[in-house]
Amino acid sequence: MDDNLEQPNAEAKPLLGNEAEEEDQSSGDDDEGPDWTKLMPASSRPIIPKRGDKEFEPLKQGGSGLQQHILLRSRNAMFEALRATRTISNKTVSYGTWHPTLARVSVAVPRGTSMNNVGHTVPREMVMPDGTMKTQKRLELLPEEGVYLIERGSLMCWKEYTIEYPNDGTFESVTGIPMTVQQAYTEMIGTEDLTMDRYQVYAYLKRLGYSVTRSKPPNAFYPVAGLYPPSMSALSSSYILQRIFSTFSSWISGIFSPLFSRAFDWWRPLRINRWLRSEKNHSFMFRSLRFIPSGHKVPIHSHTETTSPYEPFFNLYKPPTPFKKSAPPPPDYQMVVVNARTTPMPSLSELTAIYDNAPELPLPLPRVRNPSQIQGVSYKKNAAGANIPLESRTTKETITPSMTIGAANGLMPSWFSSRTSAPSKQNERRVNPFAVLRQGTKTAIVATVDAGTINIFRFAQGAFETGPWY
Amino acid sequence: MDSRKIPIRVANGRAYIWDVDDLQTIRSEHRLCGLLVGTLPHLSQQNLFLGIPSQLMPEEAALLVEKEYAVFVDDASAYRGATLSEFNAWNAEQREYIKHQQLVLEQEHANKKPPEVAQKVMSEEAIRKRKEREMKRQKKAAELQETEAEVPNANEEKVVEAEAPESSNAFPTTYNISIAAPSSSVPWYDPSNSTYSSISSAKAAGIWDFPSDLQDRARYGVFKDLWEQGYFMGGGIRFGGDYLVYPGDPLRYHSHFCATVISSPTQRIQPMEIVAHGRLGTATKKTHLFCTWDDEKGTVDYLSIEWAGFG
Repeated sequence: MDDNLEQPNAEAKPLLGNEAEEEDQSSGDDDEGPDWTKLMPASSRPIIPKRGDKEFEPLKQGGSGLQQHILLRSRNAMFEALRATRTISNKTVSYGTWHPTLARVSVAVPRGTSMNNVGHTVPREMVMPDGTMKTQKRLELLPEEGVYLIERGSLMCWKEYTIEYPNDGTFESVTGIPMTVQQAYTEMIGTEDLTMDRYQVYAYLKRLGYSVTRSKPPNAFYPVAGLYPPSMSALSSSYILQRIFSTFSSWISGIFSPLFSRAFDWWRPLRINRWLRSEKNHSFMFRSLRFIPSGHKVPIHSHTETTSPYEPFFNLYKPPTPFKKSAPPPPDYQMVVVNARTTPMPSLSELTAIYDNAPELPLPLPRVRNPSQIQGVSYKKNAAGANIPLESRTTKETITPSMTIGAANGLMPSWFSSRTSAPSKQNERRVNPFAVLRQGTKTAIVATVDAGTINIFRFAQGAFETGPWY
Repeated sequence: MDSRKIPIRVANGRAYIWDVDDLQTIRSEHRLCGLLVGTLPHLSQQNLFLGIPSQLMPEEAALLVEKEYAVFVDDASAYRGATLSEFNAWNAEQREYIKHQQLVLEQEHANKKPPEVAQKVMSEEAIRKRKEREMKRQKKAAELQETEAEVPNANEEKVVEAEAPESSNAFPTTYNISIAAPSSSVPWYDPSNSTYSSISSAKAAGIWDFPSDLQDRARYGVFKDLWEQGYFMGGGIRFGGDYLVYPGDPLRYHSHFCATVISSPTQRIQPMEIVAHGRLGTATKKTHLFCTWDDEKGTVDYLSIEWAGFG
């Protein structure tokens, strides 16, 4: 075993998307775990080491002398690393007060970059030094933000307390009882809908560098994320109309309503306009012959009204996203957090509810040889677009019109689409249909937590009856 | 460790270990690992190495208490308000700590033993590179000065300004603040009235609920049985099972089995499951283990599945 420290090579593992799935299945790497001996030299600059090699099994009686020695060394390295205390310079530490009744940490002295993307300002009634009440805005942290900053060593937190403790100015103007990290875990988790599972996912994402906010504002002052760009405003309005209409009609005629609304003629299913040449192709004919309604525009029938555990809880912003905490942009992802031991798989209606609020994803780009950056699937156009050779960039642009049309297929009378989509297909490099199917048009991301182990899944909504193959 | 029982801090139904010494005991004497879930204070932007606290699986916590190695502590009710003297003592301690740092800093400053320590850590190549960089920078700066000699540039002035206050009163005002992790280090943490030495008493107090049903009992039974045979256990959700079974400390050895708990001997297993688990186990270089719990007899039967390459 060598002590040569490697250069930092631990990349943030790709959270979502193809690579993550493949890796999880491919090897037993995951149970290898970190080699704590690489943390041994307590150097000033932390170095993220490479994983070590493990052995198959110990020899009889708990291992040979060498094995025991190495094990002891690994363990000691681990415990030494764990014993490190949280110290922070008084120039970068923030001071805050935990208000158990509000379930918030008010930040009296915000400092450091870790404050850049947490917290929100709330006007509160406060007692002024002269004894009067006054409404003032102050920065407040949600419990998860508080715990994370405390545990990270960026925030020194005090618990609001009825007794006035003397303040000699050592810790500036904050008063109360100082809290330990343990106390923060115990008292802050469990408030304001924050479960341990959710906190663990939050901390995991924060450590990866994401900006994380709540999907559902916990109070009126919490900044609401921007809305997704209305990619298909025309579609969505008619979509809502259709939804209203079809729920109404399904109430009357149940499953048969789509048949009647389309006025499907059983004796003459194929009506080809003799003047329109464009109708004489396979895709048009197949579409005309389809009499069972399909696709996600058809509302699902069983509707459970109970509250579902599958509601997006966190909004995620990728690290490089310009993030303004008072007016956050539409999130890159939304994430659901569930307990792996108690929550069953999501039902179709639960998933549909998530998809209904999710943005439509752009078509996947053709594969690039050396992608500049591995990214998950987002509603945004691939940010790496700038680095992609010009050829594929033009492809992307020409795809877009055909995508809107493809999605409209489900609604519009089909002769419309097949005619207009013809010109855009001329100079387009064909998108791989399997990649499109695999990615889907909408996505739902679920983090499951089992006794501290986090797994993140992506569900995708895709459709066979629309897409670039038409 | 003598007869002192390890306190398992229970908060929101989860079991945590906050003291590193306890963690050490649990790991080396009781062969239980827990799972580190906290952020390491000095490596806070990565997920590979995590820190205190260690979250115990419910099985682990229940086992430790049943074997009388540990007790449950209801953490939320263990904090009482600090008395004035306790608070003052704490405050004095903090001041002492800060003063001590200043003293050390001043001494270091007096001894003028600057970056030697840092240089030892760096390799020779790094030093060489740094020197090259320095040379380049100096060259550039010289060039810049030559070209802009007549313009007393504002930039530089600003830099000087910014640096000046820091260097002039650096050691009296810059110091480190230490944030304590385990509550056992503060005097107003008093778990004596909220300690439960058995699972049933903790259940009665409403802070703990494992094992609560047949599924839990089966999981616990299997876990205990494997543990009693000398195995180490970890969570197996990443491998499509309930537990990973290690022959030795997971720090040093790979797991041999991925175990699935079946809560009754009469429960049916679909052939698909056997194929799926066999396949998955092979792909991850493990043997899949079906562990059947008999709730009446309190015994476990094991069935291992491996891919046999016929044909």
